[in-house]
Amino acid sequence: MSQALQHQTGDGVPAAPAPVAGRDRRGARWRGRVATWVVKLAGVLVTLSALELASRTGALPRQWFPPVTEMYAELAGLVVGLPLWVEVGRTLGGWAAGLLLATVLAVPAGMLLGASALAFRLVRVVIEFLRPVPSVALIPLAVLVLGTGLETKVFLVAFATFWPLLFQTIYGVQDVDPVATDTARSYGLGALARFGEVTLPSAAPYIATGLRIASAIALVLAVTAELVIGAPGLGQAIIVAQSGGAITLMYALIIATGLLGWALNAVFSAAERRLLHWHPAQRREAGL
Amino acid sequence: MLEVKALRKVYGSDAEAKPAVADLSFEVAEGEFVCILGSSGCGKTTMLRCLSGLAPATSGEVLLYGTPVTGPPADMSFVFQDYSRSLLPWMSVARNVAFPLRHKGFSAREARAATDEALQAVGLAGQGRSYPWQLSGGMQQRVAIARALAYRPRILLMDEPFASVDAQTRAELEDLLLRIWERFGVTIVFVTHDIDEAVYLADRVLVLSAPATVRHVADVALPRPRGQLETKRLPEFAGLRSELLSSLQRERAAA
Repeated sequence: MSQALQHQTGDGVPAAPAPVAGRDRRGARWRGRVATWVVKLAGVLVTLSALELASRTGALPRQWFPPVTEMYAELAGLVVGLPLWVEVGRTLGGWAAGLLLATVLAVPAGMLLGASALAFRLVRVVIEFLRPVPSVALIPLAVLVLGTGLETKVFLVAFATFWPLLFQTIYGVQDVDPVATDTARSYGLGALARFGEVTLPSAAPYIATGLRIASAIALVLAVTAELVIGAPGLGQAIIVAQSGGAITLMYALIIATGLLGWALNAVFSAAERRLLHWHPAQRREAGL
Repeated sequence: MLEVKALRKVYGSDAEAKPAVADLSFEVAEGEFVCILGSSGCGKTTMLRCLSGLAPATSGEVLLYGTPVTGPPADMSFVFQDYSRSLLPWMSVARNVAFPLRHKGFSAREARAATDEALQAVGLAGQGRSYPWQLSGGMQQRVAIARALAYRPRILLMDEPFASVDAQTRAELEDLLLRIWERFGVTIVFVTHDIDEAVYLADRVLVLSAPATVRHVADVALPRPRGQLETKRLPEFAGLRSELLSSLQRERAAA
């Protein structure tokens, strides 16, 4: 635990900043935040303007690269209608089912493997063999066994996300502080109680990171399955737009997919901040 | 109340492995404040782990009220040196104090009352909702002491609890501990490497040599209540201090 995180003086009295100095500091922080946002926004606007200009002037062939304003206009039209949301729902359905399946399997397995050195050694070779297999390489097999519907999508998502979840859980359980475990033992907590009171909360930040990584991978796999095997969803819609020559629509759907990924990451980050506020990586301005 | 008989602890099964604790025997009376003094690496922590039932002894035994200690006893609390790791960062101060109580069979109301009383006793009555990492080192160790007290132990084992706080905080914590000891009538076994601290706190000081075995016993007949200035000014304090210092130096020269 870093001393720098403790806003206290040595004698145990919280160091209260003088009110005026505090307000000044807060004001400076706000100005800093606004400045950061202005810079970020400027970067985005410059990029979009450059693309727009390149398309309008013909520097990029307009046939394949329509102006970004048209893409976003198309997207705006989609957002107010139902069909886009149906596709988003289908993609998210595969994403969620696969992620849930992987979590239900990987987290308990990781707990077991993290807690038992013997179990870890036992399955390690099998894991090292299976883990590097790219999920997309399993598409032909999955189509053969499960067909071209939701099941294949769920299987691919689950396979790909199982590994980061498994390993994050194993690391989390292995990283439990022995002093914390000894403390619980010295107060007579049995193995099960220690697991609930110490191991699980200690491993939670690792599992949360695993979920956030897995969520991004799950979206990639869900869209890939839709693109490659034509399972219904955003990926399939992109293919349909492309083959129908609706290039602007295709771009609008690609942008929608990107925004979906961004939104999912934001949701997971926010959940982590809330639930793991006690963790050193999430603690902010504890004294204020 | 606590009897340690020919305690021996060897890590590993190697025939040449050196023992961390060898033929350690002593007794602690009910209500006594015993300090165990030894230089670092003499097996103090291993000894405490055996005493507290956290680690099994290789041979010999530890008896608490005549019953062999085979696991952590219900009327014993352990205060670790590393308070920042012993307190659980996801629990508030109050939860940190209360969680062992629920597992000991306290009702929610009893646990809350015991928690409030213990936090009050260590001067942290208003801090229950804080998180340990928001507090200074000295305050964190006070939370750990409150947790140990709330557990209603008859004996408190403390492993160099004040070794990592500054001198001023350390003196405050020593006085706090003496007040708690007098008020709750608990027996304390306090491990330290600091001679002044041992003499200031204890009824009796045991000097350990490596591997942990008792080499010297000093009875501390200084008047109570003790005070940082008054007690440390006494000629008897200085006498005990040099007696223990020379004993420790002899051990080091022999090692």
